[in-house]
Amino acid sequence: MQAKFKEYSNKNRYSVMLFGLMILLLMFFSVTKGETLWSLGTWNGIFIQFPEYGIMTLGVMFCFIIGNIDMSFVALGDFACIMAVRYMAGHVTEDMATGQVVGVILIALLIAIAIGVIGGIINGVLVAYLNIPPVMATIAMQLVWLGLSTALTKGYAVTGVPALYTEIGHTMLFGFLPVPLLIFLIIFLFSLFLLKFTTYGKRLYMTGTNLKAAKFSAINTKAMIISTFILCDVIACIGCMIMVSTMNSAKADYGTSYVMRVILILVLAGVLPDGGMGKIFNVLLSIVAIQIIASGVNMFSQLNSYYASLIWGGLLIIVLILSTKMNGTGIKLFKLKKQKM
Amino acid sequence: MNNAMIKRTTKRTEYWIFLVLIIMCVAIQIASGGQLLESSTVVTILRSMVVDGMFAMVCLIVMVSGGFDLSFPAVAALAYSLSTTICVNMGWSETNAWAGFIMAIVIGAVLGMLNGWIISNFKLNTMIVTLATQTLFIGISMGLLELKEITSKLPLGFRTFGESYLFEVKSSAGLRSTMTTMFIPFVIICIITSLVLNRTMFGRALYAIGGNETSAERAGYNVKRVKFWLYVAVGATCGFIGMVRVCMARQSIPKALVGQEMTIIPAVILGGASIFGGEGTVFGTICAVGIITVVSNSMLLIGIDSYWQDFFNGIVILVGVTVSAIQAKRRNK
Amino acid sequence: MSEYLLEMTEICKSFAGVPALEHVNFKVRSGKVMCLAGENGCGKSTLVKIISGVYSKDEGEVVFEGKPIAKITPAEATKLGIQVIYQDLSIFPNLTVMENLAINSEITAGKKLVNRRQWEATAKEALSKIGYHIDLHAKMGELSVADKQLVAICRALLFDAKLIIMDEPTTALTKKEVDALFKTVCQLRDSGIAIMFISHKTEEIFEISDDVCIMRNGKNVYAGPTSELTPKDFTYYMTGRELTDDHFVAKNISKEPVLKVEHLSLKNKFEDVSFELRKGEILGITGLLGSGRTELALSLFGLERPKKGTITLNGKQVKITSPIMAQKLKIGYVPEDRLTEGLCLQQSIADNITLSSLKRLSNSFGLLKHQDIIDDASIWKEKFSIATNDVNKFASTLSGGNQQKIVLSKWLSNDLDVLILNGPTVGVDVGAKQDIHALVHQLANDGLAVIIISDDLSEVVINCSRVVVMKEGKIVGEMTGDKISEDNILEIIR
Repeated sequence: MQAKFKEYSNKNRYSVMLFGLMILLLMFFSVTKGETLWSLGTWNGIFIQFPEYGIMTLGVMFCFIIGNIDMSFVALGDFACIMAVRYMAGHVTEDMATGQVVGVILIALLIAIAIGVIGGIINGVLVAYLNIPPVMATIAMQLVWLGLSTALTKGYAVTGVPALYTEIGHTMLFGFLPVPLLIFLIIFLFSLFLLKFTTYGKRLYMTGTNLKAAKFSAINTKAMIISTFILCDVIACIGCMIMVSTMNSAKADYGTSYVMRVILILVLAGVLPDGGMGKIFNVLLSIVAIQIIASGVNMFSQLNSYYASLIWGGLLIIVLILSTKMNGTGIKLFKLKKQKM
Repeated sequence: MNNAMIKRTTKRTEYWIFLVLIIMCVAIQIASGGQLLESSTVVTILRSMVVDGMFAMVCLIVMVSGGFDLSFPAVAALAYSLSTTICVNMGWSETNAWAGFIMAIVIGAVLGMLNGWIISNFKLNTMIVTLATQTLFIGISMGLLELKEITSKLPLGFRTFGESYLFEVKSSAGLRSTMTTMFIPFVIICIITSLVLNRTMFGRALYAIGGNETSAERAGYNVKRVKFWLYVAVGATCGFIGMVRVCMARQSIPKALVGQEMTIIPAVILGGASIFGGEGTVFGTICAVGIITVVSNSMLLIGIDSYWQDFFNGIVILVGVTVSAIQAKRRNK
Repeated sequence: MSEYLLEMTEICKSFAGVPALEHVNFKVRSGKVMCLAGENGCGKSTLVKIISGVYSKDEGEVVFEGKPIAKITPAEATKLGIQVIYQDLSIFPNLTVMENLAINSEITAGKKLVNRRQWEATAKEALSKIGYHIDLHAKMGELSVADKQLVAICRALLFDAKLIIMDEPTTALTKKEVDALFKTVCQLRDSGIAIMFISHKTEEIFEISDDVCIMRNGKNVYAGPTSELTPKDFTYYMTGRELTDDHFVAKNISKEPVLKVEHLSLKNKFEDVSFELRKGEILGITGLLGSGRTELALSLFGLERPKKGTITLNGKQVKITSPIMAQKLKIGYVPEDRLTEGLCLQQSIADNITLSSLKRLSNSFGLLKHQDIIDDASIWKEKFSIATNDVNKFASTLSGGNQQKIVLSKWLSNDLDVLILNGPTVGVDVGAKQDIHALVHQLANDGLAVIIISDDLSEVVINCSRVVVMKEGKIVGEMTGDKISEDNILEIIR
């Protein structure tokens, strides 16, 4: 039994670590704020809040696995939302039937997704065909999208989201399942399916481990890179559209702090931008752990929300240092790699 | 020999960046009907280069060593907001303003030590480490210490220092513009960075480490120590720059610099620094910051809404990185 | 004082209980070239690291200039006059030649500031030691490998080196560059410096060395003058077995060629290359580095695009534009550099083996058949006797030879007409080498058309039924059957 656990924990260090972390956190908050923690309201809050950036995290995960990074997804998502909200505001009138409003909303969603696809293709072409290091390409694209949004909105929030759409963000299906959580779960299962059960997922991991070897093994690496960026950016746009329903508007700089938070979650989960690594379940654990910290900090009325940031940063440092102590697949993989195509 | 020298110069990124800067200035000068090179506009542009330019130097020096620092705005913000808060709480207003600077520098150095310790000892990806410390520092300043915005209560010494100026110019239309005293620290930091990078063994060590870390170690450099002191120095400089910013803006806002790294790093890359390390010069970086500042400041002159600023900056950077990537590809062939 | 500069006696070293060196003895004379020879992983580099002070020895005695040395640091080794030129040359590609030459001595001198004039003087002094001329302000990264090497040698000479150790210096050099390097080595030797030359290439060792020390599995099996050694003995000492003349004999060669290459040209790489390949034969393409052999292979695999010429497969003219297309045309390619081009080290053995045949191992919706992947990999594990108990382990856990078997199986698990092997046994131990050769022979006799690209002449001679020799981008000779011998090939290459 013990030997089996040892073997399992050796193979899945990050899972064990994240589980341990979660138990510690829950124990700590149970002791200090037991009543508030185990109330329905707290858990409702947790499940309503994390899908927003949780969805984006799942998208960026694809980029990380293939060994790239995307810094532009929030700016792109905001731009997509601005266009979508503008469309909705322009086409929904007071006297419209619900069916028509649903139609307009669907078209708006399609617009957002289409913009996500375009953004992904641009990122992908910059990285795969022009060989620009992904950090540089996506930081530049982030400025471009942010700039476009700012120029179009003059820095103001775009309002006029139909009431029906706003409701989505606050509806509980069957009385307990928030719609954002449902969308998160769908995307999670989709990603899980893609990574674990399809040739695409296998090729993704292999390409992330060694791009050149993948190319020599008759894998279309350029198409792979572009496809991950499209996946990433489309999923990010969906995440941003959920943000629209909770914020009731779209703005050029909504959610900019999510870029760093998403990277933090992924690194905490052992999905590194060096590529080829990481398990989707660890990402789920990591997302929930991060949200528990945020919600936990919220329970203390004397603490402001920036305490969560303090804990996240400290935690990530500890995890990073611990990861260097893990032998085997540890430290060497953390270095920035220079890879010529 | 002379020919070889010309050939070498044209191969360098900073040469092209400088050319672009000049061409752009001339183009805008013509498009705006001669407004760009009005003395008042020039002074305004130079003034708005001060803080970004100094941060760019810090960023450059880290990138030369092969690092990627996301934490420098957070270091600066924590250093200056903590230092001004202490100054306010101690009731120092006029005479002891310099103490604020020293405090900020010390705080910055301490924060830099944390970065340096982790990076030099554990050989981790610097981008991820500084992401972690950035999050931590933001948490410390706004969570743990609950530092507040300081505007009207700002010590008088900072205010007068920030308002002081070197000279005043008047444009033909009668617009007045003053050259802030803060331009001097900017020039000094540029000169020091340049001297450190080119004239000291420490600076050469940074290039060497950025070029090939194993070779640097074999050549006899103590890579760990060099990296550690690099981040300490960077932290201290960030503290100083933060204070300059407080004086210029006449307010201390803990949140003000959040996200600043995303505009400064691209500028430094545009100036010829490589994210893989070992490349980059002070001159190129200044030119790149110049380009970005000119674009931002001259849009109104040529009749474009200033809201387009980020967009054009993004395009400039995109073109810059694309050109350098294509060049690198050609060189590899 | 003895006639020897460096004497190593009974050196032992082990890592975590695993012996890397066992009772190694050899001596280096001043003004002579000593060759340290051995296959990959025999302990050569460990030995070098002990001499240069990177590792400390467990047992034994090191005597330098008659004085025993107990324990030294790399800095002390430099002071004694020991300089190592590593395979990667330890240069800074982003700095200028001048800086590369001067930086080491400036650091050693403990300088804090940079004095440009002093640096330039130092650099000039270094170059003058071997009378070598180069633009001091050129960027190091833009030089050719040969120039980089000479700069590295000059830099080593600045420290009044008495012993220069060169770790596999000829690996990335063309024949001409090797000749130039040997000239410099002789020049250094004549000035009284001892050179320790690490290599595994037979001809080079006989050409340049006065003494030789051959290592195998952490022991030295021969140490003495080169003149007392014949090439045959040398091979025996290197590999530990008599060279078996187990030549490949093609049994059933098809009448029609499966692959026909006509007048193929790639700018600056190769020109007007034509040859035919039939089923059942093993065609060897050999030539020195820079002869265009690798580029030719890449052209057949869709990674280079020749502008002129035609490729005909099974009677149909084709244009191969990508590896994906090559795979569809049933062409497989085992690349030169296993670690960077062949393997995903941090992924499982099974995933590596099945990487290019995933289509076959999934259903029409792209869903993986996990069990089939494991089964498929296990088949190859058995067939090739890959030394592992679990195909789910990372590929990085295997030795070089077994890793090469993985790369081979990756392509063999596809249905192939043509298999191109580029340097199939580089860095592979002797046992695995024979396994690989035997399998390739069997495959050819089963009707596969095989191309072996190699500069290891003995490999070409043993395995190929026909050999094409390339030189400076052109085919300069072709031989079949009994005509294939190392001497004949060498004659054409030179």
